Amino acid sequence: MLDLLALILVFSGIVFFFFGAIGLLRLPDLHSRLHALTKADNLGLGLVIVGVALLHASLLVGLKLLLIWLLALLGSAASAHLISQYALRRRRQ
Amino acid sequence: MASGDKGSGIPSRSFSFTFLPRHLSAVNTLHLLSTLGLFALIWFLLTGHEWQSWLIGAPVAVMAAWSTLQLRSSAEGRLNLSGLLKFLPYFIRESVLGGIDVASRVMRPKMRIAPGFLTYRMRLTQPPARRLFVNSLSLLPGTLTADLDGASVYIHALDRHLDLSDELRRLEQMVSAVYGESL
Repeated sequence: MLDLLALILVFSGIVFFFFGAIGLLRLPDLHSRLHALTKADNLGLGLVIVGVALLHASLLVGLKLLLIWLLALLGSAASAHLISQYALRRRRQ
Repeated sequence: MASGDKGSGIPSRSFSFTFLPRHLSAVNTLHLLSTLGLFALIWFLLTGHEWQSWLIGAPVAVMAAWSTLQLRSSAEGRLNLSGLLKFLPYFIRESVLGGIDVASRVMRPKMRIAPGFLTYRMRLTQPPARRLFVNSLSLLPGTLTADLDGASVYIHALDRHLDLSDELRRLEQMVSAVYGESL
């Protein structure tokens, strides 16, 4: 039962990664594309991580996965900010 | 210590060439221990039960704690636990909504977007509170931090026709509670 729930979570995480990739391809400009990358992928990674943590059922692994998720969130927010800032400042010059 | 004058604003000792001189009195023992504990916990999470790894982990945790205390500005406040506990469920709910929002916008045959920029003036003053605000902003539905200039945040919105000011004020309120700052 728990395994089934974990599989559903991991699968829906993959679906959100897929939506993020679709957004990256379809959206018209750089800043809109960053929306797809930051939001859909973070939710996708979060779902995959909750699913994998359920499969392992170990506190140590769970906390390690949480740490990975937090670092990935920080990384994606910071890199999205840097990319958009660079694009804006170059356009203004 | 040469001056022996705690908190007078005179740097008591220079640590290195590149870092600004710090007040030793600004770093209290409890703060030092909790920072050290945090890095030790992170090392433990990464390496698990490999006890030999502490040969490397212990010095690295000490150096990480030391550089964190060197780099943090003395004006930074402390985390407020109840504010943090309220922020986490809000953040998780909004991340889920953000993911669903952007997915539903891009999966329609004709995408429902009207990208545009807006400017928001932060009332938050502390640097870490501002960092948390702009980083969370990028994960919320429909908004992305595009540029930062002092207290002004230049925000990219996926749908510029939506009125985002209530959402932004709400996020700012939640962030201010995390750092115990009153707006």
